Amino acid sequence: MSERMSMDRRGFLGLTAVSALALAGCGGGHEQPRNGGRLRALFAGGGAKETLDPHAANLFIDQARHKAIFDKLTELGSDLAPVPRLAESWEVGEGATVWRIRLRDAVFHNGKKLSSEDVLYSFARILDPNSAEFTGKSNLSTLDLPNCRAIDPRTVELRLNRPNADLPTNLAALGVVIVPDGFKDPAQPVGTGPFKFGSFTAGRTFTATRFDQHWEGAPRIDELHILSADADARGNALRSGQAEYAHEVNPTFARTVAADKSAQIIVTPGCTTQAFALKTDRPPFDNPDVVLAFKLIADRQRLVDVVLAGKGQVGNDLYGKGYRYYPQDLPQRSRDPEQARSLLRKAGALNTPLTLYTSSASAGFVEAATLFAQQCGEAGVKVDVQTGPSETFWKDQLVKGEIGSHRSGAMPIPEFLNIRMLTNSPYNISAWRHADFDADFAAAQSTVDEAERAALYQKLQRRVYDKAGLLVWGHPDWLNAATPKLHGIESAPPNTLNWARFDKAWLS
Amino acid sequence: MRRVITVLLLAVPVAAAVLGPLIADLFATQGGLPYGVDGPLGTDNLGRDVLAQLLKGGATSLGVAAGAVLLSYLVGGLIGLTAASARSRTVDDALIRPLDVLLPLPSLLVVSVVAIGGGASLVKVGLAVAVINLPTVARLVRAAALSAASGPVVEALRMQGESWWRIQLGFIGRSVLASVTADIGTRLTLAIFLVASANFLGLGLSPTSADWAVSIARNRDGLLLQPWAALAPAAMLVACTLGLNLLADGLLARARRLEVR
Amino acid sequence: MTKYVLRRLALAVGQLVALSIVVFSLTAMLPGDAAEVRQSEHMTPEQVAALRNQLGLDRPLWTRFLEWAGAVLHGDLGQSLSSGLPVNQIIGESIGCTAVLAGVTVLLVAPLSTVLGIASAVGENGRLDRVITAVTLGLAAIPDFVLALVFVAVFALQLGWSPATWVGVTDLCTPELLALPVAVLLCRSLSLLTRQVRAGTVTVLHAGYVVQARRLGLPRRTVLLRHVLPNAAVPAVQDLARLGDNLLGGVLLVEAIFAIPGVATALITAVQQRDVPTVQGLTMVLAAFALLIHLLADLICDRLVPRTELLR
Repeated sequence: MSERMSMDRRGFLGLTAVSALALAGCGGGHEQPRNGGRLRALFAGGGAKETLDPHAANLFIDQARHKAIFDKLTELGSDLAPVPRLAESWEVGEGATVWRIRLRDAVFHNGKKLSSEDVLYSFARILDPNSAEFTGKSNLSTLDLPNCRAIDPRTVELRLNRPNADLPTNLAALGVVIVPDGFKDPAQPVGTGPFKFGSFTAGRTFTATRFDQHWEGAPRIDELHILSADADARGNALRSGQAEYAHEVNPTFARTVAADKSAQIIVTPGCTTQAFALKTDRPPFDNPDVVLAFKLIADRQRLVDVVLAGKGQVGNDLYGKGYRYYPQDLPQRSRDPEQARSLLRKAGALNTPLTLYTSSASAGFVEAATLFAQQCGEAGVKVDVQTGPSETFWKDQLVKGEIGSHRSGAMPIPEFLNIRMLTNSPYNISAWRHADFDADFAAAQSTVDEAERAALYQKLQRRVYDKAGLLVWGHPDWLNAATPKLHGIESAPPNTLNWARFDKAWLS
Repeated sequence: MRRVITVLLLAVPVAAAVLGPLIADLFATQGGLPYGVDGPLGTDNLGRDVLAQLLKGGATSLGVAAGAVLLSYLVGGLIGLTAASARSRTVDDALIRPLDVLLPLPSLLVVSVVAIGGGASLVKVGLAVAVINLPTVARLVRAAALSAASGPVVEALRMQGESWWRIQLGFIGRSVLASVTADIGTRLTLAIFLVASANFLGLGLSPTSADWAVSIARNRDGLLLQPWAALAPAAMLVACTLGLNLLADGLLARARRLEVR
Repeated sequence: MTKYVLRRLALAVGQLVALSIVVFSLTAMLPGDAAEVRQSEHMTPEQVAALRNQLGLDRPLWTRFLEWAGAVLHGDLGQSLSSGLPVNQIIGESIGCTAVLAGVTVLLVAPLSTVLGIASAVGENGRLDRVITAVTLGLAAIPDFVLALVFVAVFALQLGWSPATWVGVTDLCTPELLALPVAVLLCRSLSLLTRQVRAGTVTVLHAGYVVQARRLGLPRRTVLLRHVLPNAAVPAVQDLARLGDNLLGGVLLVEAIFAIPGVATALITAVQQRDVPTVQGLTMVLAAFALLIHLLADLICDRLVPRTELLR
C-alpha cells in the first residue's frame, strides 16, 4: 500500500503564498529568470561550533550549507507533511514495520550513481554509538538496522523494531542526510545536492559552485556563499550591498527597510512558536486549575504587539498552528483575569511568589518574560524573572524555576510531541509525564490509516490544550530579507523543503 | 564660563541618576507600541516611555562605576600606603607584585569573562572593574606616599618627634590625596566606559534593563525609526564623561599650579 | 642591560604562569561545561555523559591543568573543546584581523599624537592649542560603541562610502574596509595620547633646564629637538604602551559591531562555550604581547633618557 502525500496548504498558510507574491512584485516586476552570478546569503553564525558534517547539523547555518551539498530521502512541505526527494516513492507493509523505498536516479558530485548501499551506510553512520552528537539518532530510533537490506541498487528495504507510520516524516528530519558509501572526511563533503563544495571556515564562510548534473536540474546561480553574521551584521551587510540574502531579520529591520525600500522582506506568517512552559511536576502547577489560571492571565495580543512588534499571530496554547494534525476547531483562549484570580484563590496559590527562568538565548525571551511577569503582577501573582547564562539555558531551564521561556521552530506535530511531551523526551520542557499519554502516542504512531492516525494525534493535541503546561502566546512571522535584485526565493517555514533553498534563486 | 559648562554637563546626568528613579514613574506612559511617538522622547523597542527609561537608567550606569572606583581607592589605597610605609622590601614586593599578574590582561575582557559566568549581575561587574583598577591605584598611592615620605618635610616632622600616625595621616595622607584628586576624573571616565561597554555587549545587565548603555544597544536597530531611544541615553553618557574630563583637566591644572608654587 | 632584559623576561614568564593558573581556575569555575554547552535538544543525558567523557571533562581539574601545561612547554596549546581544532590554528586564524586593526591604529596614532601634542604645547593657550584641546577633549568623551554606531549609520549605510561589516571578507588590507574600524579606534586613542603628549611637553617646557637652555641662547629648534622632545616622549611612550589595554577594549567593541572575526571575539565565544584550552591559549598570547610591549616601552625610554635605575 502506498501513502499519498498531502500537498495542499491549508488555513493561514494560504496567506503565505499571497504575501510572498505581493512582496516579490515590488522587487523587479516580471523579468525572465536569468542564469549566472554569485549569491551571498547571511545566516546567524555559530563560531567554532559550526560543522560541515551533515549528520552533526544543529544550527540553521549548518543545515543551509548541508542543503546546498546534500539531499535527504524526503523533505517536509510547507504544511510539514513529507515530500519525496531522493526517495522517489515508498510502500509500507506488515503493520508499518517494513518500508520499501525506491530511489531516484541521482549522481554524486564525484560522478558515482546513488545506490541503496549509500542509504544503508548513511543510516549506519548516523546511528553509530561513538558519535554522540549526531542529530538524526532519535528520528531513526525505530530502525532495526541489521535487518535492513538492499533489494536492488535502487530499492532499499527498511525494517523497524516497532510500527511507525511516520517514517517518511522521520526521514526528512534534521541530520538524516544521505552521504556516499564510505564517507569519512566531512572536510571534503561529497553529496547529490545542487551545489559542489568549494571552501569552508567555521564561523565565517562557505562557498559552493553549481552542480550541473543535479537530478532536479542545475541551479541558476553559479556560485553560492553562505556566510556567518549576527543579527545586526546581517541587516547592515544586506543594506550596504555585501550580501543578497539575510536569514532571520527582526521586525525593526523590516519596518526600517519598508520605509526606504532598500530590501524586500520575505514573510512566512506565524510559522514558529513562542511560549512559556509551566512545569507541571512541581507546585503550584501540579494543580491543573493553576495551569489554567496562568493561561487566562496572559494578554497574548499585548505580547505579540510588543515583543513581536505586531509581526505575528496570537497563540492558542498549542504547537503547530496550521500544520498537519492541528485541530482547527479549538476555541481561542483569551485573557480573563477575574476567572484566573478565582481559580488561584481556590487553589491557594495567590500568595506564593514564582520564578520565571529565562535568558537571552533566543531573541525576545527576556522581553516576553518581563512583560508576562508584569501581567501576572497585575492579576495579583508575584512572578520574579531570573535571567540565567544563555549558553547553558536549554539544559538549565529543565530544572530551574516554575516557569520557563520556550520557543520552537517548525517541525511536524508528531515530532514535537515525541521530543517535548513524552515521559522519556530529553527536552520535556513542561515536565509533562503521563504513561497513558505515551501509550496513546505510540498507538497513533503505529496507525497506518491516515484518517485514523490524524484523529488520534488530534486527540493528543486536545489533551495538551486542556491540561498540559504549555502557554503558547504567539506565533512570530518568519522574516527573511533580500535585496531587490534577488528573485525566486519562496517563503517557507524553517526546516522545510523551500527554506534556505537557493537552487531556484536567480539574480537580475 | 568653563566652570559653568562643566557643572552643567555633570549636573544633568548625575541628577538624573540620583533623583531620576524617584520621579521616573510620573512620566511613564503605559502600554505604548514599539518605537512610537507617545511621550516627549517617544517610546523604545518595548513600547516604554524613553524619558522614564532615561531617568531610571542612570543609577546603574554611573553608580556601578562610581562604586567600583571608590572600592578600588579604598582597597588599593590601603595596600599602597602599607607598601610605602613598610620598612622591608620583601613586604613591599609581597603586596604589590601579586597585583601585577592582572596588569597584562585587557580590562574589557576581564569584565566580560566575569560577567558571562554569572549571568546578569551588577555586583560582579562592579567588583571586576574594581579589581582591574586595583594594581594601578595601589601603585599610584604607593608612589605618591613614597615621594612624600622620603622628602625633607617628613624628616623634619620625625625629628620634631611627631607620632607615626600624625605623619602618616596628616602629611603623607594629604599629599596622597592630591594625587588621587588629580587621577579621579580620568579613572571614573574609564570605569564608566568599561561598565557601559560590558553592558553594551550584553555581558552585564538584562537586555530589558533601563541602563543607558543597555538602552543604546537595545534600541540601535530603531535608530532610523525613533532615534531618541538610542541617542538620548548616549547623550547622557557623553555629557557625563565630557564633564568629568573637563573637571579632571581643571583639577590637574590646579595640582600643577600648586606644584610650581 | 642584557641582564636587565633577562630579569624582566624571567619576571614576565612568572607572571604568565601565575596568570594561567588564575585564568584556568576562573574558567573552570564558570557554571556548566563544554559538553553541556554543546548539548542539543536531541541528546539524551547518556549521550551528554559520553561526550563529557570523550572531551576528558570527567577527570580532575589539576590533571587537566598539568596536562595542558605540559603540552604548552612543547609549543602545543591543545585542542578546542567546542570544535576539536588545534588552539594554535584558532589563534592563527583570528589574530590576523586584530593585528592589522591594532597595528594600523598604532602606526597612525604614534606620529600624529606626537605632532599634534607638541604643536599644541608649544603654542600653549594659542588658537591652535585651543582647537586641538577642545576636539581631543570632546572625542575622548564619546564611548567607542557610540562612535562606531554613528559611523556605521552615517558613512556606511547612508552615504555608502565603505562597507558596514567584515562579513565574508577575505582580503583584510583594503583601505575602504579598514577605514571605519580604524577611525573609531583612532578617535579615542589619538585624543587620549595627544593630551598626554601635550601635558608632558608643557611640563618639560616649564622645567628649569629648558628655561636655562633658552636663556643661554640655544636656538629654539635645538632646544625642542634635543631637550624637550626626548624628555616629553618618555611619558608618551609609556602611555602608548598602556594604550594597548584601551585599544584592545576598543578592538573588542569594534569587532562586535563590524562583525570582525578577531581575537577578542574568539575569546568571548570561547568563554561562552566553556572552551577552556582556547580561553587559556588566547589569554596567554594577549598577555605575552602586553608584557613584551611594556618591556619594549621601558627600553625605549631608557634609550631616550638614560637613568641609573630602570623602572622596576
